Amino acid sequence: MAAKEPLPNGTAEIHSSVPSVMPPIVGINFGNSYASIAVLVKEGVAECIANEDGERQIACAIAFQGEEMYIGNPAKHQLVKNSQNTITGFRNLLGKKFSEVSQATLSVSAPVIQHPTFPDTPAYKVKVLQPAPSPLPATATNTPAASRVATPRSEPIEVERFLTVSEVATIFLGSLLKSAEDFLGHRVIGAVISVPAWFDDVQRDTLTKAAEDAGIHVLQLLDDVGAVAVCTSTSTDDVPMDRTQLVVDLGASSLELSLLSIREGLAHSLATLSDDSVGGDEIDSKLIKYFAKEFTKKTKTPLTVAPASDPQDKRAEAKLRLAVEHTKRTLSASPGAATCSVESLKDGLDYTGSINRLRFDLEVRSIYDKVCDNVKELVARAGMDLFDIDEVVYIGGSACLPGLDETLSQGFSESVITPFKAGTVVGGGVGDPTTILARGCALQAQLLFTLSPQSPDLHNVFNRGSELTSTTATNRTIGLLVPQEGAEGSMGGVWMPLVLKETPLPCRRTLSFEVDVAESDLKVGFEVWEVKEGVKVDRLPLPKFEDEEPNDDDDEFEEVKQKTLSKEAYLSSLTLSPRRVVEGKTKLQVQVKVSSSGDVDLSLSEVLEGSFGEAVTATIPAP
Amino acid sequence: MATPTVLPALPQNWHEPTSPARSISPVVHRQLLPAGPAYLAHVQRAINKLSFEEYDQQVEEEQKRLDALQADGLNGEDDLGVGDEEESPELLLLDPKEWKKQDHYQVLGLSHLRYKATSEQIKIAHRKKVLKHHPDKKAGISNSTNDDAFFKCIQKAFEVLTHSEKRRQFDSVDPYYLALEEDTPTASDFKGKDKDHDFFLKMMGPVFEREARFSKRTPVPMLGAYDDSKETVEAFYDFWYNFDSWRSFEYLDKEVNEGSDSRDDKRYTEKKNKSERARRKKEDTVRLRSLVDMTLALDPRIKRIKQEEKEAREAKKKNKAGNTAAELKAKAEEEKRRAEEEAKRKEEEEKTARAEAKKAKAAAANAAKKARRAQRAAAEAAAEGS
Repeated sequence: MAAKEPLPNGTAEIHSSVPSVMPPIVGINFGNSYASIAVLVKEGVAECIANEDGERQIACAIAFQGEEMYIGNPAKHQLVKNSQNTITGFRNLLGKKFSEVSQATLSVSAPVIQHPTFPDTPAYKVKVLQPAPSPLPATATNTPAASRVATPRSEPIEVERFLTVSEVATIFLGSLLKSAEDFLGHRVIGAVISVPAWFDDVQRDTLTKAAEDAGIHVLQLLDDVGAVAVCTSTSTDDVPMDRTQLVVDLGASSLELSLLSIREGLAHSLATLSDDSVGGDEIDSKLIKYFAKEFTKKTKTPLTVAPASDPQDKRAEAKLRLAVEHTKRTLSASPGAATCSVESLKDGLDYTGSINRLRFDLEVRSIYDKVCDNVKELVARAGMDLFDIDEVVYIGGSACLPGLDETLSQGFSESVITPFKAGTVVGGGVGDPTTILARGCALQAQLLFTLSPQSPDLHNVFNRGSELTSTTATNRTIGLLVPQEGAEGSMGGVWMPLVLKETPLPCRRTLSFEVDVAESDLKVGFEVWEVKEGVKVDRLPLPKFEDEEPNDDDDEFEEVKQKTLSKEAYLSSLTLSPRRVVEGKTKLQVQVKVSSSGDVDLSLSEVLEGSFGEAVTATIPAP
Repeated sequence: MATPTVLPALPQNWHEPTSPARSISPVVHRQLLPAGPAYLAHVQRAINKLSFEEYDQQVEEEQKRLDALQADGLNGEDDLGVGDEEESPELLLLDPKEWKKQDHYQVLGLSHLRYKATSEQIKIAHRKKVLKHHPDKKAGISNSTNDDAFFKCIQKAFEVLTHSEKRRQFDSVDPYYLALEEDTPTASDFKGKDKDHDFFLKMMGPVFEREARFSKRTPVPMLGAYDDSKETVEAFYDFWYNFDSWRSFEYLDKEVNEGSDSRDDKRYTEKKNKSERARRKKEDTVRLRSLVDMTLALDPRIKRIKQEEKEAREAKKKNKAGNTAAELKAKAEEEKRRAEEEAKRKEEEEKTARAEAKKAKAAAANAAKKARRAQRAAAEAAAEGS
């Protein structure tokens, strides 16, 4: 570290008298491999910011070399030559005991060891150069006149330094905070940090403490999926309010899947799944294997990587791992071929190769398939079908790959919304998988910041384990049915869903629609039904081509899926005689309220000019 | 949720299905994610046991309160009283090529401040206008992408008003004040209103206030009030008769034709401009002079002061000469009266004296008569007795 730090830029207190300035609060996505920071730019809009290296994706790595300490992406480069003094992947160890840490994982960075003094604490040992103590200060008396020549600095001493995981996290979070303060020009007064859902209370407490040590006032530790829910429900307007969302978090080290039910912004998780065997590192391994093979083909120099045994190969692997990061990003961003160049990969031979998307997708097909299988398993766990998913949201750098989306979306219905379809992945769009968590955290921080003066007990409801998070939800979709003779489908009429299943209670829904009134004496109204939703799978034989070889085993079928509805229970019906018919149509508004125990209040009224007609109501008691 | 907006009516032969289910399917328990505004709303309803309607009302009130707060804070920026002026449609159609003819203050929305606008206010006004009229903002709205004429006018106005020299030149011929100058009250306006002091002050006060802006010397004495002292009024006229004006008329110069290389042409124009400037300046001096003359002639305070002075003089005169004349007269009268009284008294005295003398004479005569009678009686008695 530099001996004399420059004057920090972010020490100014915020001028609270100026309300137009957004409060200096940040959202931090603290992943195991990468972190990102987002700040508020205006009301309801958060933006991911770059640190002083110009990186939005800040690698969670700290490296020590000599007297210097590197944090973030420069530290990753130290993995090539200085891997024993480089610390990575420390987030997941937060709050764990040494005995709980599995030693089996092959580590390319500084190994986790038992702290020499604290019992059962994981720590890292790094070699640093400590500046030698300055020569004793000369006293005023009894000393010869001081020489004009500066005292030469004695050589720094090499010492071993033990850092606990929390200390490492504190250093890293501190650097994130500094980046944010430099950007804002103000002291940051609060932050929301994302954590994976599987973090237990001890881990959360340790993370909070590490953040507080770094000078961050933690407003909330927000689950990753919570950040996604905030980010996707506040920013988009062409997405239905009630939807089932699949969150695919393909980070560097693991795959986390969640199925969320989002009903007018209220989100709850239907199922989660996490798989450590799939991740961006796996993709890297596949890619470097490919490049190593190419290298061997080109130069006739043997190179075996992932895993590498020879120390030279290990160096080459580290170099390749750094280089393919760039290749992956290029592939995610543009459809053309991406290059990978490494100088002096092995035996002083340089390597430059390129790969296009098609080839890349072919290489990593097995990983895509694994993700696909996991998604299917998750959906099955929730007792649903891929067809029930309305929206897919991706998180993590590896999820930027368009090939993944292409592979996944084959199983979904046509109308599924993905950020790739919406075109919000590239160019810092709302669906950018690399920044979505940080932005969600920043938006959540804003929400928590605004309510802070009101009542302190409101803060507690955002804490983990608050009893207010538990709620009841509907089990079946409730909707309106206008029977029609000769109507298609199993419902026998026009169906309009009102309260979807898995809607948290209490809830209220209002619908406005027009009704055709051909003859004035007709009544308008509807039946209210509870329905069962399902997916019908039709197996249609593939169209045969005439010139094709006659296939004996006729197992080629195309699966055609269709959403089905079947009447489950008749609840009530509401009718009224329209008073105001304009051009054969009248406007109606129906409101349904379901209490937390399941009482249903229905009311139907006609929309007159500027007011409502007399309401027809019906009540259904709780189960 | 694909919702059809038009539903069919119920068929005529529709009957309500019988045997409705007693309730909806049993509810299930779920764990909400504590995130997002919707969760906050849900929690607030749950904690305070509010119905949806009550909560809606609360949110509405909160919004109103916030709006009020926002309105108080002027969006956090003090605009130094620049405010927002409506632009008339004619203003928006200004041609930037004709910038000399435009009213720069009006273009920047400062027509309520004019020469009083500080440079800070001009900056703020400019920023406001640019935010509103920048061509980048209009690109999407209007069809023609080249709609930056008014923006150019704004830039020109800003250029003129931020340059102190150019601003003075423009202020000298500010069209708003030129129009007002035309309306300067004349002597005929005051006919028959000699007695109305307030009318005079009301008419002439603003005239001097706006003329004062041209003074090189500050502070400039203003017209003042009716009961000002003679010194104040004299200082006022003294100042205004020796008015030192910075007003200049370069702004009205004819453009020197830069395109032509003819030096003579250029010199001719310059010469003409110079003489024109001098002429206008002279006219302006004369105008001001005559204005002050007229004011002086009409000033009720001057009349008042003159009157007061005259009276004072006369009073003084009376004090000096009035001692001989009036008192003399009084004395003379007094004397006359006294003389008359004296004469009257003397006459009376004489009268009485005469009467007494007459009485004494008569008494003496009587006594003599008596004595003679007694003498005669004695003599008779003696004679008789004898």
